[in-house]
Amino acid sequence: MQADLNERTTPDAGSLSQWAVSAANDRAWDEAASRWALVRKLYPQHAPGWVQGAIAERELKNYAQSEALLEHAKQAFPGNPNVLLQWAELHIVEQQADLALEKLRTVVDAFPDDMAGYARLTDVLATLGRFDEAAKVNQRVRELFPDRPRGWQQYAELAMQQERWAEALTRWSMMRERFANHAAGYMRAAVAAENLGDRRLAKTLRLAREYGNAWLESTLGGDSRATAHRVNPPQRRGMLQFIELVWTKARLNLKSEANQNYLRYLWWIIDPLLYMAVFYVVFGLLLNRGGDNFVVYLLSGLVPFQWFAKTVQLASGSIIAGSGLMHQVRISPMFFPLVMIVQTAGKQLLVFGMLFLFLMLYGLYPGWHWVGLVPVIVTQLILTVVVSAAVAMIIPFARDIANLIPTGLQFVMFMSAVFYNTDIVPDRWRTVFFLNPMATLLEQYRVVLLDQQWPVWSSLGWVMLGSGLTLLVLLAAYRRLAPIYPRVVLE
Amino acid sequence: MHPQNDTVLSLCDVGVRYKRRGGLLQKPEYFQALKNVSFDLRQGETLGIVGRNGAGKSTLLRVMAGIIRPDQGRVINYGVSVSLLALQAGFDPELPGRDNAIMNGMLLGYTRRQVEARMTDIVAFSELGDFIDEPVKTYSSGMRSRLGFSVSVFMTPDVLLLDEILSVGDRGFREKAESEMTRKMSSDQTIVLVSHSENQINRLCDRVICL
Repeated sequence: MQADLNERTTPDAGSLSQWAVSAANDRAWDEAASRWALVRKLYPQHAPGWVQGAIAERELKNYAQSEALLEHAKQAFPGNPNVLLQWAELHIVEQQADLALEKLRTVVDAFPDDMAGYARLTDVLATLGRFDEAAKVNQRVRELFPDRPRGWQQYAELAMQQERWAEALTRWSMMRERFANHAAGYMRAAVAAENLGDRRLAKTLRLAREYGNAWLESTLGGDSRATAHRVNPPQRRGMLQFIELVWTKARLNLKSEANQNYLRYLWWIIDPLLYMAVFYVVFGLLLNRGGDNFVVYLLSGLVPFQWFAKTVQLASGSIIAGSGLMHQVRISPMFFPLVMIVQTAGKQLLVFGMLFLFLMLYGLYPGWHWVGLVPVIVTQLILTVVVSAAVAMIIPFARDIANLIPTGLQFVMFMSAVFYNTDIVPDRWRTVFFLNPMATLLEQYRVVLLDQQWPVWSSLGWVMLGSGLTLLVLLAAYRRLAPIYPRVVLE
Repeated sequence: MHPQNDTVLSLCDVGVRYKRRGGLLQKPEYFQALKNVSFDLRQGETLGIVGRNGAGKSTLLRVMAGIIRPDQGRVINYGVSVSLLALQAGFDPELPGRDNAIMNGMLLGYTRRQVEARMTDIVAFSELGDFIDEPVKTYSSGMRSRLGFSVSVFMTPDVLLLDEILSVGDRGFREKAESEMTRKMSSDQTIVLVSHSENQINRLCDRVICL
């Protein structure tokens, strides 16, 4: 190898040193020692050959050889602080602390601009347990080299070595202030915090390694509004809160619906107006059947029935449609049909308004008995809630039923005397006929609006009672089934 | 079993199975998503849950949130509010950001007043500015997730359940979001975090449960 090198062009000192350093980096000290020997032979004026060679020899425990190299280097390179530093290291390895300190003090005196001497001196003093002296040297380091992290890190480590954890924490924070990106300021501080028994702080410090000192300060200082003012929801929604939720959602749904059209809320009036106009044209003008008041009779039944049908139709699929939400938040399945009910009821108020206008155009003016509409409408509302909630409850379990809803509603419509007068129902079927609560309710609308009389309270009472009782059963069922729905809609 | 004083939620022997097929006419077949899961969740800790795909991580979170009732075992809540981080839950694209924020907060279990009280903070954090009164359908997906996240940041229950750490909005906001979420973790907030990234779990969590 040596011959090889001599025969060819001799490599320059730098690349030759690199070659030796690579061996040292691999901790192949034998190889490194012989390579540095070659460097010394070819370039005796090249300091690393001596100093690094001494390190390799030291690692090989050839202390005498190491010292001899350093002895030479000291004469040859008086301006190189590393010679004395490595000599001190040699003494440390040989456990000659006093000699090591002597060498380090010489370095510090001879090379006051070199931080390494101070830093190492501090280390050695600390290792020897001479913390007061170490602290003094460290103070010099921080004064002389305030922009270098080593001194500050040592300052904190000194406290750590003495197990003065609280003080160490303060010193690490001084370190972080100056060197925000230095890992030790966070990770070692976390160790100090752990020793203080503050695991939370330790965790925060470790996380702060990624997010920086500003994040840490604001987290510890608690000036983040998000964490400082935590709000807790009531553990379970109360009745009032649930109603508020349903109300808000229904209101927002209506707003959303209106936002989709240019004429926005106007449609809620236009739609029923057009609807009634169609019936007026077809039955009132074109066919002109069923007598003068047939259109009025028809509409006074059709308008309330459409309200019922629309709500049931909308509510029937509402729980399945809400499955996404049900998987994200804890919410009663009752929420979904109820929103639909409130939403359609809101719009229905306007439709009723239009109907009343239409009736007045027909010469049927409002009187005191119109007040009787209030219990009729309330009863229908309860009935609608019952039917919608029941249908919505069953469909997730047997989705096929959804296919029957439109036909079913049509059947109920024909059975409720929307298009014909109840007088044509044969007497023996009348009892059965009026078992259909919608038939009873539509009859009451007509009693009030067309016959200008008070509703038949007993009929109304039965519907109200039946709906109310069913509602209670439904509420109990919903309460029982609530935790099952999120899975049923998934399966 | 005597829970430690700082236990906020206990799972005892919890099992969940889903019906895979079957119904009225077929013999039902089940899929066991969770089996014999027991642990205590302690106040202020960040608990990591790892497991391969289909190990039931998300199901476990739903059980803890009270969304699903387990088939076996019990979940004992010692009086804390628990909820899943549900970004953009119930968002309606036709409605302005403000309405959506209120609805989202209310769905998370807050009262309307509670959400409205924090509206200024939410708007500021979301960096939406005047856009908050524009319909959400005009938002970019980044803006939408910013709004969703902002609500969640300011409306946090005692125990927050995170299904996968968030990747929300653009790069800048993602960093802000993550640093805010980490801030919660290092505060007294109790968090359960499900993640595929073991690295992330090790970095953030005090304790890890493997399903």
